[in-house]
Amino acid sequence: MALNTRSIGNVGVLDLHGRFDAHMAPAVIEWYGRLPSPHVVINLTDVTFIDSSALAALAGGMKRCRQRDGDLRLCALQQPVRVIFELTRMNRAFEIFATEAEAISSFTH
Amino acid sequence: MRIAIVTPYPPSQGSLNEYAFHFIRFLRQKPEVREIFILSDRLPDDATYPAETASPPGLAPLHIVPCWRFGALDNALRIVRTARDLAPDIVLFNIQFASFGSSKPAAALGLLAPAMTRAAGIPAIVLLHNIMETVDLKSAGFGANPLVEWFIRAFGAITTRALLSADLLAVTIPRYVEILEHKYGAANVLLAPHGAFDEAPPPSFDPPPGPLQIMTFGKFGTYKKIEPLVDAFRLLSETRRDLELVIAGTDSPNAPGYLESVRLANVDLAGLRFTGYVAEEDVPRIFQDAGVVVFPYTSTTGSSGVLHQAGNYGRAVVLPRLGDLAELIAEEGYTGEFFTPENAQSLAEALARLLDDPARRRAMGTQNYLAACGLPMAEVVEWYILHAQNVLTVRNTRRAARRREFVKR
Repeated sequence: MALNTRSIGNVGVLDLHGRFDAHMAPAVIEWYGRLPSPHVVINLTDVTFIDSSALAALAGGMKRCRQRDGDLRLCALQQPVRVIFELTRMNRAFEIFATEAEAISSFTH
Repeated sequence: MRIAIVTPYPPSQGSLNEYAFHFIRFLRQKPEVREIFILSDRLPDDATYPAETASPPGLAPLHIVPCWRFGALDNALRIVRTARDLAPDIVLFNIQFASFGSSKPAAALGLLAPAMTRAAGIPAIVLLHNIMETVDLKSAGFGANPLVEWFIRAFGAITTRALLSADLLAVTIPRYVEILEHKYGAANVLLAPHGAFDEAPPPSFDPPPGPLQIMTFGKFGTYKKIEPLVDAFRLLSETRRDLELVIAGTDSPNAPGYLESVRLANVDLAGLRFTGYVAEEDVPRIFQDAGVVVFPYTSTTGSSGVLHQAGNYGRAVVLPRLGDLAELIAEEGYTGEFFTPENAQSLAEALARLLDDPARRRAMGTQNYLAACGLPMAEVVEWYILHAQNVLTVRNTRRAARRREFVKR
């Protein structure tokens, strides 16, 4: 699992790769603590697996961002990851976009 | 948010009381929760629940309202009446099929409570810990008469449909979601992790000083064969003197004398140790002393209890490359080093990869520990709050739309 971070305007973008699970979740949570802006997009294009710890980390991040009047939005979910979101109905809790560009522009529209 | 939770709660001995205790312990710590009402069952002999005079700082006030009785036929009515009086924002049900009674009428009538609560205008979320479709009626003593079995199944299906009338129905096993979606066409079912109660400190991920132990644990002689492991250990011992192989456990009942025969065939092998039967209190030490835990299986149907134990104690594991075992354990969050079954050379190489790399052992032990822990209850409770907020948002949006529609007309 790899983690790359970028900033596009005032939106923090996190690219994740591989398995997003209990092993990786602490690094993502730690990243939230360093966020300059509460507007966040997490790009899941290259995530092949996600578990409950990862979902909890995303939910925790979303809560943190919303408490600061921002939001954490997701984009580019692959089929195995999308299935987990649907199974847990977390697809109703997050704003999910097909592409990163759409997710980023959603903060300005 | 003001939340009512229908559940047995300690000191009630009703099933799921312990789950409720831990769930509520964390729920009341959440800033979104303003007040909690526990709609619990009445205690026997008119005993009373301990009253909380003042809430500790940072915790939502907790009110226990005993309003139903295990085995009574009017529990659903009583619950709805109490919920209407208290007017919470949402009602959670922490239940299973026999929560409201051991007789079929009492159990089934009680399970109408979520549907009736919703019909009364209060949103309802059900956490259902079991489903009828997976109950083994034969084991329960109902399998002898096909008519009785059919009747119970039909009754269970009707009750399940009633439960599905809640705003959301959460289950803790993915297969339950599939069954409820396919059989009932349900679109309001979700998977929620069960949650781990314990907050025990993590174990040490390093073995104690001294010879590095390779350990295997179980009942041996049928599909757990230690000969390849002993041979692998023999290969490793040719170049290393800092190792010990610990065979922890006994013969399988179907293979008496198996371990003794292996011991006699390898009396020349230094560092090979047989513990015999491992008492429950010695299990932690056996795992904590191990550097690597090996699964010398020749067949398997899935991940094992020993793997869960190895995870609990934060241990690296070496597993056979059998069927889809690697995928199965990965789905549960575990990881391991793999070897070709019954191949001593392959097993020795897999062991060497871990023995030579303490950082990798530690990382693997940490991942397995996290997998064994499961999601902490504090996180599970967050999920329910999110789902409850969504239910309330959808309701409020619909209500606002209806109001706008009414004004237009």
